[in-house]
Amino acid sequence: MAKNLLKINYEKYSLPNGLQVILYPDISIPAVAVNLWYRVGSANERNGKTGFAHLFEHMMFQGSQNVPKEGHFKFIQEAGGSLNGSTGFDRTNYFETVPANYIELALWLESDRMGFMLPGLNQEKLDNQKDVVMNERRQRYENQPYGLAWEKLFSNLFSPEHPYSWPTIGWMDNIAKFELDDVKKFFKKYYSPSNASLVIGGNFDRDNAKELVEKYFGEIKGADAFPEIETPLQSLNESKKIIYEDNVQLPRIYLAWHTVKAFHEQDAVLDLLSDILTSSKNSRLHKSLVFEKQIAQDISSFQYSGKLDGSFIIASTAKPGITLEKIKDEIIKVIEELISDGITENELIKAKNNIKSSYIFSLQKIDLISDHINHYNFYLNEPDSFLFDLSRYEQVTCEQIIDAAQKFLTKPNVELNIIPKAMR
Amino acid sequence: MMILNRSVIPIPAKDLLFNLPEIKFLKLGNGIDISFVRKEKLPIVYSEIIVFSGSRFDPSDKKGLGYLTSLLMDEGAGEFDALQLSEEFEKLGSVFSVSTDHDTTIFSILSLTENFERSLELVSKVVLKPRFDEKDFQREKKKVLDRILQLKDEPSFIASSAFERRVFGDSYYGFPEIGFAESVAKVSNDDVKDFFARTFTSSNAKIVSVGNLEEIEIVKLFNKYFYDWTSSSDNYQRFETPGRKKTSYYFIHKADSAQSEIRVGHIAQKRNANDFIPTRIMNTILGGQFSSRINSNLREKRGFTYGANSSFSYYKEAGLFEISTAVNIENTGEAIIEILKELNGIRDHITDEEINFARSYLIKQFPSRFETLNQIAKNLESLLIHSLPTDELLNYTNKVKSITNEEVRVSAINNVLPDELVVVTVGDREKVYMQLKQIPGAEPIELDLHGNLLT
Repeated sequence: MAKNLLKINYEKYSLPNGLQVILYPDISIPAVAVNLWYRVGSANERNGKTGFAHLFEHMMFQGSQNVPKEGHFKFIQEAGGSLNGSTGFDRTNYFETVPANYIELALWLESDRMGFMLPGLNQEKLDNQKDVVMNERRQRYENQPYGLAWEKLFSNLFSPEHPYSWPTIGWMDNIAKFELDDVKKFFKKYYSPSNASLVIGGNFDRDNAKELVEKYFGEIKGADAFPEIETPLQSLNESKKIIYEDNVQLPRIYLAWHTVKAFHEQDAVLDLLSDILTSSKNSRLHKSLVFEKQIAQDISSFQYSGKLDGSFIIASTAKPGITLEKIKDEIIKVIEELISDGITENELIKAKNNIKSSYIFSLQKIDLISDHINHYNFYLNEPDSFLFDLSRYEQVTCEQIIDAAQKFLTKPNVELNIIPKAMR
Repeated sequence: MMILNRSVIPIPAKDLLFNLPEIKFLKLGNGIDISFVRKEKLPIVYSEIIVFSGSRFDPSDKKGLGYLTSLLMDEGAGEFDALQLSEEFEKLGSVFSVSTDHDTTIFSILSLTENFERSLELVSKVVLKPRFDEKDFQREKKKVLDRILQLKDEPSFIASSAFERRVFGDSYYGFPEIGFAESVAKVSNDDVKDFFARTFTSSNAKIVSVGNLEEIEIVKLFNKYFYDWTSSSDNYQRFETPGRKKTSYYFIHKADSAQSEIRVGHIAQKRNANDFIPTRIMNTILGGQFSSRINSNLREKRGFTYGANSSFSYYKEAGLFEISTAVNIENTGEAIIEILKELNGIRDHITDEEINFARSYLIKQFPSRFETLNQIAKNLESLLIHSLPTDELLNYTNKVKSITNEEVRVSAINNVLPDELVVVTVGDREKVYMQLKQIPGAEPIELDLHGNLLT
């Protein structure tokens, strides 16, 4: 049953200008999702110019030759649609979900900013969005307890020239300095049909969609290819410890190890390991630190993987009066026990069931499905990879989990302590 | 080849027909109402048991009792201790959660259809037979106390809870569900057991179910596992409507803030007010979506913030009108002045064009509110919580269409009251006090972290 659900019937083709198009019709819903991925993210930036891919994403909502400032939001919302964009290390995406009869509106808007963004650009819009983004950085990171943890962690885990060493939002002093010329160059280099893939999912007629894609995207010119980012996998020779004082009541520890890239054969293994360590009340670390010993207020973990590299992160907040040393010792002890004593078949089955169910639950939303199709196309060059992806998890054995824990979590790590300002 | 004229906005060929999913209003053998929608596409079921018990029933010296009770419900039930119970859910891959607010505690379960019966059986143990073991009580109580400590670090929570404290005064909506360190410290396990026995009863409960099962099957399963639920006498807790107050400016000092958190608003009418729909259209224009006046002004024109919005939200016994934003410290005073301008502005004029936009937005996005099982259930839940007529959803689109522009303008006059505002700012005193002082008519009053006046 589940297997049929996860088989996606799609059609993929490319326009002469290089735009990849993936059509996924599903007439059982009243909406159409238009989802566009550009193969550019913060990893394409360099030191001194960090945060630009994200700032540029904001500029894409500031209008284009035929769309006024704020027009993109206004037209889509008036049609009852929803929309947004997001920027990561490796890619930037833009998406709108509209009632099915508005498919042409969404394609018109996306094509106008893909082909004709620069005529709509001016200094005032850039200055405005720099202010907005600086406020985004303050709101989401600087004014949040532990909000700067991730950038402290990644800038220590990766060497300064590695493109994952700076945060996607960018360093504040870099954001302040961007100029119109930066926007123009970035657009010309990265925002071309040859660097993008377009997924249309939901209620539409296949032939009509093809005509519309040709009509709106066909005349946009492709750009020269740019070299792929080449960077060797990173490793730490020795562990590093960083202490940072923040406006927090309770100290929190973060431990980070280098692991593997997205879709590497051990990537799914590490996802399952993370599940077994922290995803539920019975998970190893939660049970020990939060439930039984009650030395931690919370604990979580992730295998965080991208196109160039990956890392495994454990984060835990200490209860009042408990030192981070003690938390760390307990975490290490639980990991060592897992490596020496192994895990049970039951633990693995629960983790797999959890992943299988969440896959099926996620099929409820056409915008998520469409984004996932683009995700698979980006990393695997195969849009219909739902089944493949699930099988990555289904095939994992207890031994592989233990091997991965042994291989990665016993290596040198970066330890970050976020401590209350008063504590020093 | 024809040259494409891109300056022409594509117009949709025809209007889309949307059929609301059919809602069945059913009853269990013991009288509990069930709202049910069958949705067949995926092999999954979502259900909610809504119990009308929440922090409104907290004794005044034990704020946080309802919240702590809700946390303890799934820490062991029936024959299972806390870890075993969790283990049973984990085996199924079902997503179970308990959430609570002032008015309700909601038990929700999302599962594969094949695992629905077992999941529901487990939920029934949580709802009917929680164990409230002493060791679980001690652990969870400590967790709540430590969480309360952590909330001192969250400017957004501090601003919202102080805002509600000033708006709702000493009424039960004026206090955070989680309670305070002093009040939670006083709660005993017996208090929890008593709270549960008094309020978690079948006469206080309603059920929503959506998904891939037949109506007859749903009724059968709920009857099987919830038939024995005991009933109780009415334990209604009267809402003391706070008196009207003139606009006041408050601030809470938070050293080294990177931004100022701002809340502006006042008490509003209940969800079942006659002008709910015109008010919704009006708020869509004022601050209810990205292209609204408030967001366009504060974000897209001035760059003061990452986002600003206004909302009318609804508790069971009262509504809340709230503008919420976080702004650059230097722009704190200006941001509040601009918000005040927008509040006066919406009373002063609304163009036909703005109303047409908002009407189109609300009507055309309506179908998207029924995409997932959870979304459908939330629509049904709001009918139940606010005792709305069963055809409320069916008539929604026509109502939005039939509201006149004049009704929208009148709703701004009646529901946006610039002379009765509570204005709360959380930020660094040194940097925001003088800015607040310069707002015409403002005499900034300092509050503690709980929103009480500092004396």
